[in-house]
Amino acid sequence: MSKRLWAAAAVVVAAVALSASAAGAVGETVGSCIFDELGEAQFEGIEGDGFTAVKELKTQYKAGDKHAKELKEDFEKDLEGCLEAPNPIIPEVTEIIWGGAAFVVLLALMKWKLFPVVKNLMEQRTQRIQDSLDDADRERAEAAEVRARYEAELADAKAEAARLVDEARDQAASVRADLQSRAEADIADMRERAAADVEASKRQAIADLQSEVSDIALGAAEAVLGRSLEDPEMQRQLVDDYIASVSAGQD
Amino acid sequence: MNVFALDFPPVSHLFVWPDFLFTDTPVALNKTGLIYVAAMVLTAGLFWAAGRRRALVPTGAQTVAEAGIDFVENSIIMQTIGPDGRRYLPFLTTLFFFVFFSNIFEVIPFIQFPANSRMAIPLALALVVWAIYHVVGIRAQGFYHYFKGALFPPGVPKLLYILVAPIELLQILLIRPLSLAIRLWANMVAGHLLLVTFAVLSAALWGTLYVPAVLPFAALILLTAFEIFVSALQAFIFTILTAVYIGGSLHPEH
Repeated sequence: MSKRLWAAAAVVVAAVALSASAAGAVGETVGSCIFDELGEAQFEGIEGDGFTAVKELKTQYKAGDKHAKELKEDFEKDLEGCLEAPNPIIPEVTEIIWGGAAFVVLLALMKWKLFPVVKNLMEQRTQRIQDSLDDADRERAEAAEVRARYEAELADAKAEAARLVDEARDQAASVRADLQSRAEADIADMRERAAADVEASKRQAIADLQSEVSDIALGAAEAVLGRSLEDPEMQRQLVDDYIASVSAGQD
Repeated sequence: MNVFALDFPPVSHLFVWPDFLFTDTPVALNKTGLIYVAAMVLTAGLFWAAGRRRALVPTGAQTVAEAGIDFVENSIIMQTIGPDGRRYLPFLTTLFFFVFFSNIFEVIPFIQFPANSRMAIPLALALVVWAIYHVVGIRAQGFYHYFKGALFPPGVPKLLYILVAPIELLQILLIRPLSLAIRLWANMVAGHLLLVTFAVLSAALWGTLYVPAVLPFAALILLTAFEIFVSALQAFIFTILTAVYIGGSLHPEH
């Protein structure tokens, strides 16, 4: 609470305390009431008033006067009234006036001046907080949207990447299969060719060997026989037969 | 040892205060009247200070005033009248703070007197409330429907109306304002008497036997705290009953 408000409150409290301290309750005491009653006493058939009249009444009462006895009893009742407290439930008019005026002034001040300022302040704050909450909601929704979009794009990218990988893998597999089949074909071709070459070389070697062997054999035979076989065809036949027999002998 | 011969003042001396200003005129001012003026100044000062600060995060007077408005709006009006009762918010807030400040002087040192322990303002405010709820009812429902709804509540067997209608009439015309006034007044009277009793007892025992004075003094402290609570509670009850009566006039079905 601001210092000025505390100061104002203290002034108000001090004013109330000083103007009517607790010890000063009710101006009228029982004693002062009796004193007033006695001072203002007036009796029917008795001259004078106040204390003189009371004294005179006492004299007549003591003398045995019946009327004086009745007057004395009435007066005693009046005096006993001094002991009675005022009825607490009956409102004091002056208090109604001051309290009522205070309330009416306060109500007018509050209704047209003080209350609307504070209430507007509260409503402005409520509005500001509501706006902030709305902004936050909107931003959260936007963020969620961006995130969803980003996640969708990420998922697309992942799918694309997976597709590319699969495609590359397929391509690699097909290339490999292609290369493998080509290599196998080449190998088979080379093997075939090599086999053919080997066969041809073998045949050539055999043929060469045969002719060489026949020449050597003929030479040897001629040297042994001392003659030459005239018919070449017959010579060859002889040699071949010989070789065949040698081969058979070797087997 | 004359321990219990306490000088307890006559009851009227605890409540009736002498006039000290404009004596013997219709506008004579006494302590009770001055407390009402103080309650007005304090309420107005509180709201003036609250409206002047305009902080986003309220502190001090602003917190008290705003919490008060919030309390009257949400815990009183919305619970008893509903959203259309918001137009009575300035009146009910004023009523709450005025009654509370008038009561709380009961425990303020050197003053120690609840202004509402005098019948003047409880009765005057109760009559204002009485007038308001009748005017609200007649304006909202029309004279005939308002009194018909009040005197002949629906759902009661027709024969019972012979009994119910006079009771209801007595209630809305007499019992409601009187009970409103007497409840506040009697609570404050009782509280003031309790505090005076224990204060006088403590003082008297302190003058004679020192140790036993501790007990009534402890009770006095507890009762002072209790009376702070009662001051707020009675302000709340006065305000919420006002709201209930206005709500009943606005919405007869409740």
